[in-house]
Parts: sequence; structure tokens; C-alpha cells
Amino acid sequence: MNKQTVHESSEYHVSGKAIYIDDIAESPELLHAKVYASEIPAGVIKSFNLEKAKRLKGVKAVLSHKDIPGVNQMGPIFHDEPILSAGKLEFVGQAIFLVAAETEEIATEAISLIEIETEETDAIIRLEDAIENGELLHPVRKIECGSIEKAFDEAENIIEGRFHTGAQEHWYLETQISLAIPGEGKEMKVYCSTQHPSETQALVAESLGVMKHEVEVEIRRMGGAFGGKETQANHVAIWAALLANTTHKPVKLRLSRDEDQKMTGKRHPFLINFEAAFDNSGLIKAVDVTLNADSGYSSDLTMPIIERAMFHAENAYFIPNMRILGKAWKTNLPSNTAFRGFGGPQGMAGMENIIDKIARILNKDAAEIRYINFYRQKDNNLTPYGQIVENNRLHIIWDKIIKTSNYYKRREAVIFFNSNNTYKKRGLAISPVKFGISFTTAFLNQAGALVNIYKDGSVLVNHGGTEMGQGLHTKIQMIASAELGIDYKSIKVNATNTAKIPNTSATAASSGSDLNGMAVKDAIIKLKKRIADVISNHFRSENNSSCTANDILFENDYVIDKTKPENRLPFAEAIMIVYLERVSLSATGFYKTPGIFYNTEKGKGHPFYYYAFGMSVSEVEIDLITGHHEILRTDILHDAGKSINESLDIGQIEGGFVQGLGWVTSEECKWDEKGNLLNHSPDTYKIPSINDIPEDFRVNLLTGYPNPNTIRQSKAVGEPPFMLALSVWLAIKDAISSVANHKIEPEIDIPATHEKILIAIENIKALLNQ
Amino acid sequence: MNKHNKHIKFVLDNEIVSIDFNKDPHLKSTTTLLKYLRLLPNHKGTKEGCAEGDCGACTVVLVELNNDNTLEYKAVNSCLVFLPMIHGKQVITVENLEESGKLHPIQKSFIENHASQCGFCTPGFVMSTFSVYKSGNLVTDTVIKDSLAGNLCRCTGYRPIFDAAKEAISDIKPDHFSNDEELTKNQLLEIKAEKGSILIEKGKQIYFLPFKLTEALDYKLKHSDAIIINGATDTALRVTKKNEFLPHIIDISHIDELKEIIDTKDSIIIGANLNLNDLRDLVALEFEALYDILNVFGSKQIRNLAGLGGNIASASPIGDTLPVLMAYNASVILLSAKGKREIRLEDFIIDYRKTSLADNEIIKSVRLPKTPNNLFVKAYKISKRKDLDISSVSAGFRVILKNNIVNEIALFFGGMAAKAVRAKNTEQFLHAKKWTLENIEAARRILFDEFKPLSDARAEAEGRKIMAANLLKQFWLDSIVK
Repeated sequence: MNKQTVHESSEYHVSGKAIYIDDIAESPELLHAKVYASEIPAGVIKSFNLEKAKRLKGVKAVLSHKDIPGVNQMGPIFHDEPILSAGKLEFVGQAIFLVAAETEEIATEAISLIEIETEETDAIIRLEDAIENGELLHPVRKIECGSIEKAFDEAENIIEGRFHTGAQEHWYLETQISLAIPGEGKEMKVYCSTQHPSETQALVAESLGVMKHEVEVEIRRMGGAFGGKETQANHVAIWAALLANTTHKPVKLRLSRDEDQKMTGKRHPFLINFEAAFDNSGLIKAVDVTLNADSGYSSDLTMPIIERAMFHAENAYFIPNMRILGKAWKTNLPSNTAFRGFGGPQGMAGMENIIDKIARILNKDAAEIRYINFYRQKDNNLTPYGQIVENNRLHIIWDKIIKTSNYYKRREAVIFFNSNNTYKKRGLAISPVKFGISFTTAFLNQAGALVNIYKDGSVLVNHGGTEMGQGLHTKIQMIASAELGIDYKSIKVNATNTAKIPNTSATAASSGSDLNGMAVKDAIIKLKKRIADVISNHFRSENNSSCTANDILFENDYVIDKTKPENRLPFAEAIMIVYLERVSLSATGFYKTPGIFYNTEKGKGHPFYYYAFGMSVSEVEIDLITGHHEILRTDILHDAGKSINESLDIGQIEGGFVQGLGWVTSEECKWDEKGNLLNHSPDTYKIPSINDIPEDFRVNLLTGYPNPNTIRQSKAVGEPPFMLALSVWLAIKDAISSVANHKIEPEIDIPATHEKILIAIENIKALLNQ
Repeated sequence: MNKHNKHIKFVLDNEIVSIDFNKDPHLKSTTTLLKYLRLLPNHKGTKEGCAEGDCGACTVVLVELNNDNTLEYKAVNSCLVFLPMIHGKQVITVENLEESGKLHPIQKSFIENHASQCGFCTPGFVMSTFSVYKSGNLVTDTVIKDSLAGNLCRCTGYRPIFDAAKEAISDIKPDHFSNDEELTKNQLLEIKAEKGSILIEKGKQIYFLPFKLTEALDYKLKHSDAIIINGATDTALRVTKKNEFLPHIIDISHIDELKEIIDTKDSIIIGANLNLNDLRDLVALEFEALYDILNVFGSKQIRNLAGLGGNIASASPIGDTLPVLMAYNASVILLSAKGKREIRLEDFIIDYRKTSLADNEIIKSVRLPKTPNNLFVKAYKISKRKDLDISSVSAGFRVILKNNIVNEIALFFGGMAAKAVRAKNTEQFLHAKKWTLENIEAARRILFDEFKPLSDARAEAEGRKIMAANLLKQFWLDSIVK
């Protein structure tokens, strides 16, 4: 196994040969679909007429909710999301009708011929208004430890405040897409760019009113997902399947970029209210925090997202007395959804903001406050939800990165720079990440695999995980290669298909390799056992060996008799012998993560199998005149356990970090009072480009700390690095606060756009002049 | 009028391809190159990420035969290119980089540097890198980044992409395109040899592609309803984003006379269709403020298509080049079949997306007066993102000081009103005053209230007012440094 093995699809990526759903050769019968979406944020449908649209030449179907043969419902957990509005309109972009036509142009024209009369009612767009309005989607969640009241009573210092984190659009390069192909009888095959094929399958089946075995969902690769295709890929799949079912023809539905941005949910905006008590050294005694999430119009994954935000509301710090409330507020916006970090970023941002404020009040470097409050190894290691932080790597990482980043020297340099510059200011910050790994809903922590060995010794691995660019299939290929002792080129990982692996969980929660890697290993262990039985027998009879199955080794493309290593068979030859002995060369594998539980009522449990850790140090320079910032340098040290593939893991860390810095700086979603998203295309929605990354970017993996009890002692790495980008936001705050010589804590939300930086500077100057 | 051709010709996959729009049911003259490529079985590597030139996933390279018989490789967003625009050019897509099963050095470098994750943006990045590779020039890191700033990646965080591009570009060798150069030139010459402009009439849509300025002017005189396009980087969005039907188009992108540069004693006259990359290089020394703005104008792909004429004619309220050109006191030279006139740019822009261009006129060129030594000009752009972003506020300022007293001053802003505007009250205040920080601070307060900007997707009114006022201070700071 080579730690730098390249992505299994990279040759296809660079040559344009990688096939995404839109690249699948089109049948001459293919129809193109379009969605008619609500233009009002709240109201009812009074009447509609589809006749004109239906009569347009080339139009093959125009559907309303009345044409759904099964259930008009596509909510993933709670059943509160209609596939097509049955009368009630709850956000701009809500699907009402579907059209299938011979070309996209005709479908678009048909959409314009649909007649509808609606009556608009009052809408709630802003989270603040939603809170005032008081409509919660679900009961308030709570986690509590120690005694808040007592701690606040005895506190030396108390601070309070609130701040806002913004929505973030996933901006996967490949927009939502599905291709539905009807088969014989009730069969439906759906190619869907989905992170969760089993759920797509289930919801398509329910919408069509057929049993799940009639529906097959397949995905070879996605053009990015980031959580945006965990539940909301289901929508296009269902819409395409409904049209294919009606027309008995293949139907493709691809959202345009603007449609995608307007119709699908985003990272939940949070309004965070906090109160914190701390002593004069900066040791935190108590935190009381309310996490208000903007759910959008329906539940989607909001509750588990809020839950994860709550599990990360203390980030890497031991808070003896803490109360965390999580509230899901209803607004008339698309239902917000999973996005890398899954609430973690919002929760952590709340805590890091508190630390900053404490540092400013005590006139200390925020780094110092962070360090003294870290979870410790033997005591001060209990989370508010009752799980002990085991294998804590915080201090190891801190010691290393403080040194390698030259933090304290650079702090002095920043102070020097700021005292010598009026219009440019620099800021420096270190921020830690402690991220819990596992689905917090315990039953989701399971995975299946199916490994087939063919007569030429080639191996086809099927597993339930999906490839969205993260390199899961590459890691699985490497795991299979290591377990079977054969070259990874003899192993192919198949497109993910519900007909091969049933009842899978989403590829989400950073769990792809952990779960599916173990399931694949399980299948391979079974196969190796069968092979070893046959081949040990073979060596005994043909090579005069007395070996048993336990003496059989799988190494370097050979099956070897450990007792007499000259007895060896090339893997392919061994496989042929096993085949001729009429022994199965196909095995399923299964894995479930042990020891995970959480009681929502009590707010206590052991929701995580382990934690991933990381830290980053960022230095920024802001221009007080334009509000522009530059990231001069970022150092990252991240814990990926014993990395299966260092290059892929570095890729996840860098990519996650840059996505995070987009969230904290330039990515801003605004809606008008009628619920229209203003930033609905890359024209106005700005994800980072190549010139926005740190000028000096030093990313390293923590080495020498393998993770016990996971696949090849590795750690999940998909989400945790996203939150490392909080160091950029904190460094920007540090730079702004230097305007008032760090006497005043800048009030600045996420994202810290150039505009908000300017306004924060103006506000600080105004306070200074008071 | 001359006899017109009805088909377009270009080179793809080493062959001359001819499209007769009336014989192909799937194609219209406003079909984009991206759509066309994706209809072909072997060019699906070119991806649609946004259909507005903001992500670069659809980047392909257009090869043009220059008058000096050299080939020029330009990266463009194929989603913004109407098919007739590629007439007489070679189209190279990511599939063309491989040769008989062997990957191009750029492709190998992308693999070895782990520069792809989901892979959807990768063909675009490969093609942007390819255009730099084929320029054959030694380039700095800044140039590489500038060439890749029009491509978005959401997975990698760009570091490995930059490494891959840099590694490939640091070792430029002749590739199979170099070997085929003569063939390509001959093919392009063969297309060029066909005389007669191109007129495509299909259904209710007419697309006229003249090669001579007089033809364009004569046509415009007769068909005042026809809209003019050059790079179409703005107009194409009406088709790709708004599904608008454009009934009548004159495409002036193939008229060489509109790309000329004339350097006179007092001014430089820039052809309206000179592409903005070439213009940027041209003005680097003498018109620094314009250079600064062009550096952050769109992306390399956009600048390869766009010219000053289009940017001026669109009369956008922000129109990144407008304030700076106004600060240079630029004028616009307009031509019609009936005559020629010249008008100050400041007077040419009338209102929100409205100019005084007459129905029969075409923008021929832009005159930039050479700046006297005592004139100080600067231009600024404030945007959410450095590259490929439209300004929240843009500005172009000029001042002439005599003994540190303001003798002449002009302050132009974009993003503050319905059109690019002049801050007259602020100017009036500063006129004949001392050029001191104290006076600038006082002027800033006037400027803060001079405009009533909008709150929109890019910035709030309040933020814009702060930015505008701050830029005046930046101008003062830059002037005293000088």
C-alpha cells in the first residue's frame, strides 16, 4: 500500500472520460424534465390549469400532486415534505408541477404556459422574526451538566452576547441530477447523484407506490456533494421517476445552477445567544448557550444537525457547568440541510467567540484562554453529554503547532506591525477542533459489502458508500488490496448500487471509510477463510505439506504456505483451484460500530466512537479602507490516526479548510422580504478562488498516533478540517480589535465579508470616540 | 450586398467541421459552444457548472491564426460562446489533449499532484493550464494564479491544482499540437480563404457575421433592430440564464479593424474589440490605473473574449472599466454608415444601461488622452472576492495639484447609483482647497451623503457609503506616496 496512491478516477478526471450522470449516453427516447416552482414564500394555490402546457408540441407529461401514484411525501426523517405542493405553498422554489418534454427548451416553454392562481399570505423570512413568531418545528433539545445557576452566582466575571452565523450554499460543481429509466412492469432504475442511494430508493418506491425491490438506484460518482446530496438529491430522483413512470420513457432532470441554488437548502444559519462565567485567570466556570437554527420550512435533517451543534458547543474545552439549548425555528425558506460539519461549525463558532471575548476582557492573548480550558487527560475530561474524551490529542497537537508555527514570535511581529501601520492591520489566531465521529443516531452506524472474486483473480468490491470526490473508493481499494495481499490494480470498486448492497446509511458524518472499510474487511476475511481451507488442503495433498488453513498467508499476489514458504500459488491460480473445488468466491460483509448510544430526553450518552482532533494557526492582514483581507499564512496539524492514504487525507484537510474559510469570509446568502434568494448564482455568491487561499499554506498530519479499533487504525477526516477555518475568522477579529488596541471586542458575524469588516471597524472607532 | 455564406467552419479533432444551421435540427446560431460539444459523443468532458462564465468548468481553448502566421491559444468559457463566434478557429477540448492513448504532460501532472477530487472542475482547470502551456512563455506564480482564477474548485482548496499547473508549465516541451501546427494553420487558412461574410437565417432568428467594418455599418443602417455583440460575455447570459430569444444579431467579433491600436502624440486609440488581456498588457506602463482595474476584471477566460466596446455599451451601473476610463477623460469614437463622431465617455453614458449610441452606430474605438505629468489618476475596486467578482463599489479618480492646491479634480464611482457617476458636491468642496488630510476628511463626510446607493446581493447601502468615502482617503494616501 502506498500512502500516496492517486485517486482511482484521476486518469478519467483529467482526460474528461469520467462519466457523471449527465454524460451517460442518451437514449433517443430520452425526455427532459423541468420543475414549476412557487414564486411566493407563503400562501395557497387557488386554482391551476395545465392544458396549455400539455398541448404544446413535444410535451409528454405535465404532473401535479394529483398524479402521484404513491405517497406525496419525501421527508427523510419526519414526514413533513410534500413532493409537489398539494395546495399549501411554503417557500419560493417549492415544486408544484413537473414537465417532461422532448427537449429542455420545450420543457422550459411548457413551464411558462402553466396557469396558476395563488393567494399570498404572510411569510417569515428572517430567523429573528421566526423566533419572535415562535413556531418551533420540534420540541427544544437540552444538554446540561453541573449547576449553571450556582456557577453564575459565584462568578468573578460574566459576559453575554449573541451572534449570527450565515447560510452556506454547497456549490457542488455538479448540480442536482437524476436519470430515471423505467423497466418492465413496475421496475424503475434511477441514476442519481446521491450520497444516500438507499433512501433515494425508498422514497422513489413510496412515491410510485411500489415495493422497494422494484427500484434500483445507482451512482458511480458525484461531482461534489458536501452534504447537499444527502437528502436533497432525493427530490430530483423522485421527480424524474414520477415523470418516467407516467411517460414510460427515460427522463433526465438536471437543475440549472440558479434553480439549484434557489430550490435546495443550505447550511443552517444560527443565531447564538450566550452567557459565560469565568475567573480572573480566564478559566471558564459556566456557559449557557442557546443555539437557534433556521430550519427552513420543514424538518429535513435539522434535528440531528442541531444535536451535533449541541455536541460541539463546548468544542475542545472542559466546561464544568453548561446548559445547551437547541431550537429548530420554522421559516419560509427551502429546508436547510446537511453540510460538511453538520452543525458542528456553528456550535464551535459560538464557543470560540466566547473565548475571544473573555481574552479581550482580561487583556490576554486568546491562545492562553484556549489552552487553560482544554479538556485534560485524566480529569476535566467529561463532556456535557457525559462522554469521556478519550485519546485526547489536544496537548500533543498544541505543543507541536505552537512550535512549528512559531506562534509567540509571530504574535510579537503582529503587534509590531500593527503599531507601525495605520491602514493595514494584522491578526493572528489559533483554533482547535475536537470533532465526534459517528452518526449520532446509533442505528445508522452500520454498513454492508459484497466482494466477488472472479476466475482470473480479479476482485470486484461493492459497498454501500458513495464516491463524491473524497477518495472513498480509492481507500476501499487500498484496504481490500492490503487485506487480500494483492495489487490494488487487481481490485475494482463498483458503482454504488442498491441492488448490490441493501439498506445502507448515507455516506455522511465522515464515516465512509470507517464503516464501509470494516464491512469490506469482514467480507474479505470470510473469503480468505474459504480460500485458505481449499489451498491448505491443496498444499497438503500436492506439496506434501502439513499446513492448516491458519498457516495460509496472502502476500504480494501470492497465496503462501507459511510452514513451507516455497509452496506458493499466484493468487489467480489459487482462485481457479477454489472455483474448481466448488467453493463460493462471493461474500457479503457487515459492520456495526460498537458501544454507541444517546438518550435524547436525558441529554446523556456515548454518541461518538472516537474524536478527531486538529488545530490551525492563521495570520491575516486586513485593509481598513477596503475591508479586504489576505491570509498571509495558515499552519494546520491534523489528526487522521494512522492515515490510509496521506495524499487523500491532506486533500480533505486542505479542501475542508478552504470551504470553511469561504463560510467565514466571502460566502453570503441574502433573501429579500419576499423570500427570494438574492445570491442565486456564482455571479453574486462567492466561494473562494485560487487567490483566496493562504499565501503560505502548511498542512501536516499528526503522525505516530494510530487510532485504536478502526479500519487500519485510521481516523475519519471528511468534516473535521472544515472547522479549522475558524482560525481565519478569529484572526480577522484579532486584526479588527487591534484598531482599538484590543480593548474592545469586535462584534462581527459569520461571514466576515469585506463589508462587515468595514462596518465593524466603524463601530469600534465610534465606541473609541465615545 | 455581397453574397453571404450560410455555414460556419472551424477545426475540431483535427478536421474542418462545417455547420449549416438549417440542416441541423438541434442547432441555432445562438446555441453555445458548450451545448454543441455536449451533444457530440466524444466531448462530454466539457462540463456545465454555471452557464454564466463564473466557474470555468466549461473552459476550452480556441486557437486563432494571427496575422503574423502564429497560432494563439486562448482559454474561453464555452458557455458564453455562440457557435458562429468560433468560425475560422480551432476548438481544443480536454479530450484532444491525449494523443494515441498517451496523456498530455499537464494531465499527468494533475494526476501526480492529486489535483482532482470529484473531478468535475478538472477538465476546465486542465484547459486553462493548457492555454498557458501553449503560450510558451516563462511565467510567474502570479500569472499562473491569474490564469486559474476563472476556474472554481469546491473540493481541493486549490493548492494541489496550483502545484500541478506550475509543475507542468515549468517544463514546456513540444507536444502533438506543436507537431500538427502546420496542418492546423493550413486548415485555418483554408477557412479564411473563403470570401463572403456569414448570414444565418433560421426560423425567426438572424445572425450576421461580417468580416469588414463597412459591411457591419451598412447592415446596421438597414437593420437598426439588430443587437451588436463582440465577446457576448454579457449578452450570452440573456440566452443561457434568461432563456431569452434574440431575434437579430450582428456579431462584430471577426472584424480586424475594430481591434487596432493607434498611438498618436497625445492619445492612444484602442479598438473597441481589442481583447482585454491584450489591452491590459498594452496599458501596463502608461495607464497604470486602467491596468490595475483590468487585472481584477472578470477572469482570463472572460478577458479573452471581452473588449472595451462591449463593456462601455452595456453601461452597467458598476461597469468596472467605466469610472477609470472616465477618470482618464476617455472619449468614444462612434461610426455609422453616415459618418463618425466622438463623444466624451462621461456624456455617452446616459442612464441605467443606457447610452447615446444611435440605432445605426457602432463603437469603433476608445480614445485615451495621454496623461500630463501633473495629473494623478487612480482606480479602485472593492468586491467580496478578489477575482471574478463584480464590484460592490468601484472608483476612478483624477486630480491635478498646483502647489498642493486642487486645480482640477474628478471623482467617478460605480455601484453608487443607476449609472457610473461623478461626485460633484465632493469635487466642488475640494476644488481650490489644500490637498490635506483635514480637507479630505471633511470631503469624506460630504461624499458619504452624496449618493443614495442600493442595498442588493453584493452590499448594503450603508457599506457602500463607507467604501466610497474610504476610497477617497485611499486616493489621498496614494497621492502623497507618489
